[in-house]
Amino acid sequence: MVMDDVQVKDGVDAQTVDAVKALSGAYKYGWNTEIEMEYAPKGLSEDIVRLISSKNEEPEWMLDWRLAAYRRWLEMKEPDWAMVDYPKIDFQDQYYYARPKSMEEKPKSLDDVDPKLLETYKKLGIPLKEQALLAGVEAPEGERRVAVDAVFDSVSVGTTFQAELMNAGVIFCSISEAIREHPELVRKYLGTVVPVSDNYYATLNCAVFSDGSFVYIPPGVRCPMELSTYFRINAENTGQFERTLIIADKESYVSYLEGCTAPQRDIAQLHAAVVELVLLDDAEIKYSTVQNWYPGDENGKGGIYNFVTKRADCRGDRSKVMWTQVETGSAVTWKYPSCVLRGDDSQGEFYSIAIANNMQQADTGTKMVHLGKNTKSRIVSKGISAGKAQNTYRGLVSMHPKAKNSRNYTQCDSLLIGDKCGAHTVPYIEVKNNSSRVEHEATTSKVDDDQLFYCRSRGMGEEDAVALVVNGFCKEVLQALPMEFAMEAQALVAISLEGSVG
Amino acid sequence: MLEIKNLCVQLEEEDKQILKGVNLSLEAGKVHAIMGPNGSGKSTLSYVLSGKGGYEVTEGSAHLEGNDILEMEPEERAAAGLFLAFQYPVEIPGVGNMTFLRTAVNSQRKLRGEPEMSAGEFLKVVRAKAKDLKIDADMLKRPVNVGFSGGEKKRNEILQMAMLEPKMCILDETDSGLDVDAMKLVAQGVNALRDGKRTFLVITHYQRLLDHIKPDVVHIMAAGRIIKSGGPELALEVENNGYADLLEETA
Amino acid sequence: MVASSPKVISDRALHDAELISNSGAWAKNARQLASARAQEQGLPQRRDEYWKYTRPDVFVQKNVALIPQACPEIGIFADQMKTEIVFENAKLATHHLPEIDNCKIESLSNASTLDLHWVQDIYGKLELAGQKPVERSLAALNTAMATEGLLVHATGQVSSPIRIHSVSIGITDAVIHHVVKVEAGASVTLIETGQYGARSNVVIEVDVADTGSFHHIRVQDGKESHMLTHIFASIGADAKFKSFTLTTDGKMTRNECILDLVGDNSSVTVAGACLGDSNFHHDDTVFITHDAVNCESRQVFKKVLRNGAVGVFQGKILVKAGAQKTDGYQISQSLLLDEDSQFLAKPELEIYADDVACSHGSTSGAIDEEALFYLRSRGVPEPKAVDLLTLSFIAQAIGEIEDPDLAQAILSYLTDILEAR
Repeated sequence: MVMDDVQVKDGVDAQTVDAVKALSGAYKYGWNTEIEMEYAPKGLSEDIVRLISSKNEEPEWMLDWRLAAYRRWLEMKEPDWAMVDYPKIDFQDQYYYARPKSMEEKPKSLDDVDPKLLETYKKLGIPLKEQALLAGVEAPEGERRVAVDAVFDSVSVGTTFQAELMNAGVIFCSISEAIREHPELVRKYLGTVVPVSDNYYATLNCAVFSDGSFVYIPPGVRCPMELSTYFRINAENTGQFERTLIIADKESYVSYLEGCTAPQRDIAQLHAAVVELVLLDDAEIKYSTVQNWYPGDENGKGGIYNFVTKRADCRGDRSKVMWTQVETGSAVTWKYPSCVLRGDDSQGEFYSIAIANNMQQADTGTKMVHLGKNTKSRIVSKGISAGKAQNTYRGLVSMHPKAKNSRNYTQCDSLLIGDKCGAHTVPYIEVKNNSSRVEHEATTSKVDDDQLFYCRSRGMGEEDAVALVVNGFCKEVLQALPMEFAMEAQALVAISLEGSVG
Repeated sequence: MLEIKNLCVQLEEEDKQILKGVNLSLEAGKVHAIMGPNGSGKSTLSYVLSGKGGYEVTEGSAHLEGNDILEMEPEERAAAGLFLAFQYPVEIPGVGNMTFLRTAVNSQRKLRGEPEMSAGEFLKVVRAKAKDLKIDADMLKRPVNVGFSGGEKKRNEILQMAMLEPKMCILDETDSGLDVDAMKLVAQGVNALRDGKRTFLVITHYQRLLDHIKPDVVHIMAAGRIIKSGGPELALEVENNGYADLLEETA
Repeated sequence: MVASSPKVISDRALHDAELISNSGAWAKNARQLASARAQEQGLPQRRDEYWKYTRPDVFVQKNVALIPQACPEIGIFADQMKTEIVFENAKLATHHLPEIDNCKIESLSNASTLDLHWVQDIYGKLELAGQKPVERSLAALNTAMATEGLLVHATGQVSSPIRIHSVSIGITDAVIHHVVKVEAGASVTLIETGQYGARSNVVIEVDVADTGSFHHIRVQDGKESHMLTHIFASIGADAKFKSFTLTTDGKMTRNECILDLVGDNSSVTVAGACLGDSNFHHDDTVFITHDAVNCESRQVFKKVLRNGAVGVFQGKILVKAGAQKTDGYQISQSLLLDEDSQFLAKPELEIYADDVACSHGSTSGAIDEEALFYLRSRGVPEPKAVDLLTLSFIAQAIGEIEDPDLAQAILSYLTDILEAR
C-alpha cells in the first residue's frame, strides 16, 4: 500500500497525515534526492574498471588487482543454486559509477559537503552535520555517539568523528581514502578473507567497487564509540558495489553498524558488496546490519538485487565475531555472513532475522568453518515469510579433523504467514572429528492462532497482533542488536509485514 | 573399610584445586555422614572415589579394604564393592531397566570370577527387592531413569544398591529433590541394607536425611577439607546454627 | 545432468537390448522408455549436488573390482518366517513361489513375457515420477535392465511377513526390481535379508492404495558389498507406509527412499540404523513429498561409526502448496566412536503451505561421558558399556518398527553383532 495516494478529508491536519503515513508501513525511504550526478558511461569493460580506479586516484597495484579480478570474472558463471528466481541481469545495461557533481572536488571537511547530501542523510535519520559538530564537545549524558561514514551511490560523502577516533589510534575512513592514505594496511589485508576468485559477485565487486568503509583498530584499543556506515543508492540504473574492510588487531574491540536504503523505482537495481573482517588474537568485532533496501512493490516490480559476500576471519586465538542481521528489504537477497574460526578458542555467532513479504525472495544464512581447536559457534536464524515471498535459510557447519573439542549449536525457525509463501531450510553439516559436538534444530510453523486470538481478545488489531507475535518470535535476535538498532529493527519488523494478513 | 589419606584433587581442564587434603577413615559397618555448604567439595569426593573422569589426584590415597582404588577403572571399583548413588542419576533411553541391572550384576560377578546369575533367579530376586522399594513392574520395564520422577530415580538407585550388594555405599545428596514421603521410602531402603558389615558414606547438605538414616559419625566439610568431626549431635548443631559458626570457629 | 560418460551407458544398453527384445509388450515398453530416460540423464557425476557426500563411481563404473565373498549366514527372523523366497546370485532359487492367502507373488522374469498385467501400471511409472526434481538415472537404468524381481500383489491382510533372502557367492552384479501393489484395506510386510550380489542395484516400487498398509524391513550385512537401493512409493489416502533398514556391514551403501503422499490422512515412516566400522560408507537419501492434507511423515536415522567409517544423511521434506496440516518430523544423529569417523548431513525442508508443523534435528558427537561413567560405576566394563549406549542410541530408530516381534528380532540380532565385535 502506498500512502501517498491517500485521500485526505477536510479538517485533518498535516501532522495526522504524517503520523498515519509513518504507521502505514509503506516503504519510508522511497523518495529520491534531486541532485546533479556524474556517471561513467553505461556498461562494463576494462576501460570502466580503469576509470573507477582513476576517479579514486588509486595507485597502480590497485588497478592491476581490479583488472585481474575483471578478467577472472569474465570467465565465471552466475551461480544458480540459490532458491531465488529473477530475470537475467544485463551487466552492460548498468552504470558502475555515479557520483554527485558536487563531490568532484573532494570536500575538505563536512562543512564543504553539498547541503543537499547532508539533507538527504538528515531525512534518513542520519544527521551527519550535527553529529560532526559534537566532535570535540562533551556528548550529553547517557547519549551514545556513533561515528558515521555515509556512502551515496558510488562515493563516500563524509565520515564523522574522524579526528577523535584518530586520537585513540582508530582509523575510520572510506576505503578509497584508505587505499590512498594507508596502502600498507589495505594491501596486507584486502582480499585475504574473501579471495578475488571467491564467487561471481565478489569477483565483480573486486573489479568495480567504488567505495565503502575502512576500519583499523590498533592493538589493545576498545573503539571509543560505535562505528557505522550508511549506504544510500540514489541514482537510477546504477549498481552499488561497496567494499568494507575491518581489521581488529590484537585485544581490540569494535561494534560496527550498517544501514542501507534506496529510492522506490520500477526497475530493479544491483547491489553487490563485499565485507571482510580480520580478527587477530583476542580481538572482538560485533557487526550489525539493518538491511532495508527498497524491496520492490507488491507485484514484484523494482527493488534491489542484493548479492553480498560477508566473511570474518578469526585468525587470532580467542578472537570473537558476532554477525547480527535484520534483513527486511531487497527484492532478492543472496547473503551468507560467515566465520572462519581459524584461531584456537575462537568464536563465531550469527543472529539473523529475515523477513520476506509480497514478492520478495531471500536466500540467506551463514557458514561456520571450524578449523582451530576448542572453537565455538552459534547460529540463531529466524525467517518470516508472508505474501507470495520465498525465504530460505542456507547454512554450513563444518568441523575439520583438527578442530578438536569444538561446538556448534544451530537453531533455525521459520514462520509462515499465509498460504502463498514458502519457507525453506537447507543446512549442510560436516563433522570430521568426534570430540566436537554439533547440534542442529529447525522448525517451521505458522503464526500461532491461539497467540493471535489471545492478543486480539485483549483489543489488538490483527496486524498489531501479528507484529507482536513475530517480534516475540524474533526476540533472541533483536536482543543481540545494539540498543538503538534494536528499536529500529523492532519497528521495521512490523512495517515489513504490512499487508500480510487479512 | 575405606581409608582416605590427604586426598588432593584438582580439575583436569583448569588449574583449580577442589580437595585440599581430605582424611577419612570409615570402619566396616558404620554410617558416616559428610555435611557442608555448597561448593565445599562433597560431590567431588564421591566422584573421585568412584572414578569419574575430569579430575586429577595430585596427592594422597584412597584404599578400599587395603586395595588402592584410585588406580582402578570405575567398573573395577564397583566390582571391588564400591557403590555411588548419584545425585543426578543418568537417563539411558532405549535400554530397559532390567537389562541394565542384569548386565551390571553379571558384569560384576564376572569381574570377581563368580558365576553369572541365571535369568530366572535374577528375576525372582529383583522382583522381591523392587517390591520393598515400591518399584512396580512397569518401572522395571521402562528405559533406565527415562521419564522417572525425582523420587523414582532415587528409589531406582537404592534398588541397584540392593541388587549389587556393595560393601561400601556412597550416597550423594540422595535427599535432594525429594519430598518427605519419598525420602522416608529411600531411607527405609538404605536402612534395610545396614547389616553391621556394610559401610555407608552419606553426603548431604541438610540434616533432615540424617533423621532417617542415623549416622555414627558426622564430618563437616568446607573448602576441600574436613574441618570438624563428631557424633550425630554435630549434625543438629549445623541444623540449628548453620555452617557460618563452624566456618568461623575453624578459620 | 550432462551425459559425459555415454560410453558406460551404451555398453550397458547392449545388455538391455537383449532383455528388452525378450520382454512382453508392457515390459518392453517400460524398459525402452527407461533406457531412453537413462541415456538422456547420463550417469551421476561426482560434482552433482545430489552426490555431494557420496561418490557415485563405484555404482557406475563398468569394471569395479568386486571381491568374491562367502554367503553370509543370517539367522535373523528364523522364528517368524513362514513365507520365504530365496535368491542366489541374483537369480530366483525358489522355483515354486509360495501361494499364500490374500497375496499373489510372481517373478519379474516370468511376468514380463506375459502381456496384460496389473504391474504395467506401476513398473517404471513410480520410478519415473520419482525422477523430479532430482534425476536418479541409476534407478532408470535399473528399470531398463533389471533381470529379476518379485511382483507382490496384496489384496487383503497378509498374515505373515514375506521374506526375501538372498545369497551371493563370488563376483556378481545384481540388478533387481520388485513391485508391490497393496490394494485398499490390504496389508503386507516385506522383509529383505542378505545380499543380491557383490554389487547390487535394487529398486522397489510400492503402490499403496487408499487404506492400504505396507511394512518393509531390511537387513544389510554383506561384507565388502556395494549396495544401491531405491524405494519409490506412492501412498493413497488413510494409508500407511513404514520402512526400516539396519546396515551392519558393506563397503558402500546408498539407500534412497522417495515417497509421495498423494492421499489425505496418511502416515509414512522411513527409519534406519547403521553400525559402521573402517571401510564403510553409508548414505541415506530420503525425499518425502507431501501432496495431500493431514499427513504425517517421520524420518529417523541413527549412525554409529568408528575407525574411519563415514555416514551420510540427505533428507528432505517437501510440502506442496495446499498440503495443509502436514506433520513432518526428521531426525538424523551420529555417534562417532573415534576421531577418524565422519558424519555428513544435509537435512532439508521446503515448505509451501502454512498450516504445518515441520521440524528437523541433527546431532553429531562422541559417546556421552556421563552415561558411560554411570554404567561403569555399576560395574559394567567399558566395552560393554559402550555397546549398551550404542543400543540406547539406536533404540529410537528400532522403535519405529511396527511389529514388536520383528523389532525384538532386530534388537537381538544387533546385540549379538555388538557382542561379537
